[in-house]
Amino acid sequence: MRDSKIELMSPAGNFEALMAAIQGGADSVYFGVEQLNMRARATMNFTIDDLEEIARICGEQDVRTYLTLNTIIYDHDLSLMKVIVDRVKEAGITAIIAADQAVISYAFTKGVEVHISTQSNITNIETVRFFSHFADVMVLSRELSLLQVKKITDAIEREQIKGPSGNLIEIELFGHGALCVAVSGKCYMSLHTHNASANRGACIQNCRRQYKVIDIEEGYELEIDNEFIMSPKDLCTIDFLDQVIDSGVKVLKIEGRGKGADYVKTVTQCYREAIDSCLDKTYSKEKVANWMERLTEVYNRGFWSGYYLGQKLGEWTSQPGSVATKKKVFLGRGSHYYSKLGVAEFTMETQKLKAGDHILITGPTTGVVETVIEEMHVNDDGKKEVAVKGDKFTIKLDTQIRPSDKLYKIVDSEAVAQ
Amino acid sequence: MVTIIQQRNKCIGCNYCVELAPERWRMSKKDGKSVLLGAVDKKGFWNVKVNEDELEANKRAAEACPVNIIQVREH
Ligand code: SF4
Repeated sequence: MRDSKIELMSPAGNFEALMAAIQGGADSVYFGVEQLNMRARATMNFTIDDLEEIARICGEQDVRTYLTLNTIIYDHDLSLMKVIVDRVKEAGITAIIAADQAVISYAFTKGVEVHISTQSNITNIETVRFFSHFADVMVLSRELSLLQVKKITDAIEREQIKGPSGNLIEIELFGHGALCVAVSGKCYMSLHTHNASANRGACIQNCRRQYKVIDIEEGYELEIDNEFIMSPKDLCTIDFLDQVIDSGVKVLKIEGRGKGADYVKTVTQCYREAIDSCLDKTYSKEKVANWMERLTEVYNRGFWSGYYLGQKLGEWTSQPGSVATKKKVFLGRGSHYYSKLGVAEFTMETQKLKAGDHILITGPTTGVVETVIEEMHVNDDGKKEVAVKGDKFTIKLDTQIRPSDKLYKIVDSEAVAQ
Repeated sequence: MVTIIQQRNKCIGCNYCVELAPERWRMSKKDGKSVLLGAVDKKGFWNVKVNEDELEANKRAAEACPVNIIQVREH
């Protein structure tokens, strides 16, 4: 196995997810601002004024920061694009992830490091050579197999293909998360049906639904048996991560800027442990089984290995939504933290909570904190077993929480369904 | 009378409103979002009163807007 280090890149849709990525052990995070990114619809996007704060938080933790600016770009987008690139430079964000030549070229002339986005669909060494004039890191198309990836990384080394920084080109790969049924980021489905262009970051993900086939001649309708034929399962590479690292990639990217902080933390943690164990040669079947179990607890639509191992067809999910084995149920919010005592106070807004319950707290500064309730003090009544709607309760907690941090109970998915 | 309202901060700059009702909409080169011509800002909701003859085109724009931030009201 190559002894090279591999960078773990996690998604950050907001400050909570950003903290969660750092807590999970990410080496770098990526995020979008304003409307020029592939999650333009998301309500929780960062704004351009958050860039300094993101750079500050990540700088302190030695985590690299990448801003995605990878939609198609119209004429009227050019000034906003330039303003964003300028602010990236000022704020000290590490690099931008771009697909459109206008963005690549402008960032390059401004001396801002550029990474080529998956939207550029790089599938061969000549294209790598072409982009090497502008960029140091490139994402390869998700449709390549690891064998093809390895040929490209070998050629980079053999032919010493270097980027503007003078270092060898680094190849980035998607390691985990949702997959498009179409060529990554180049899909018209959502545009055709809902006028919402995926290429502008407005995808409504209607490929994730169930469809019928209609015989036009006679009008017979067929439902495709239990399969969402346009909705692939989620990509998961943790069970062959040694092969992924062996293919010579330098950056492993986790998908999911629209997902919650708990998802980001769990997935980042699992991949952090997996990468580290590959490098110190303790990667094993038992460990994989444990990571798999943890990964299935958070949002997923069933897992498959993508095209990396050479399968020709997608594996379709049979589920309309997530098949996560655990769900979080909102309970209430933080109200106070007594730092001298190490005690956190919460206000219950709904449901109930018992001693022994597994809870999760998220917040923009807090990130994600998980614990099991050992004992609670409820209102002024002292120690009690149960807290219900309207109660204020306190628990021992080593980590500081903030007012208005959200409190959840983690339960088995079946328990929620009942 | 017809009132057109746009919740401008959520605009993703896709240009559809301009395509469908070019009389009433322009893309701003400054921030890449669309501008509802003649509108005034009421807490982020830009609105303008126009004549019936603009109704059809703007209804189409409202339908096409992928983030549903255009409203057209007839009085
Ligand atoms: S259609 Fe909607 S999102 Fe697109 S430019 Fe017009 S207002 Fe903005």
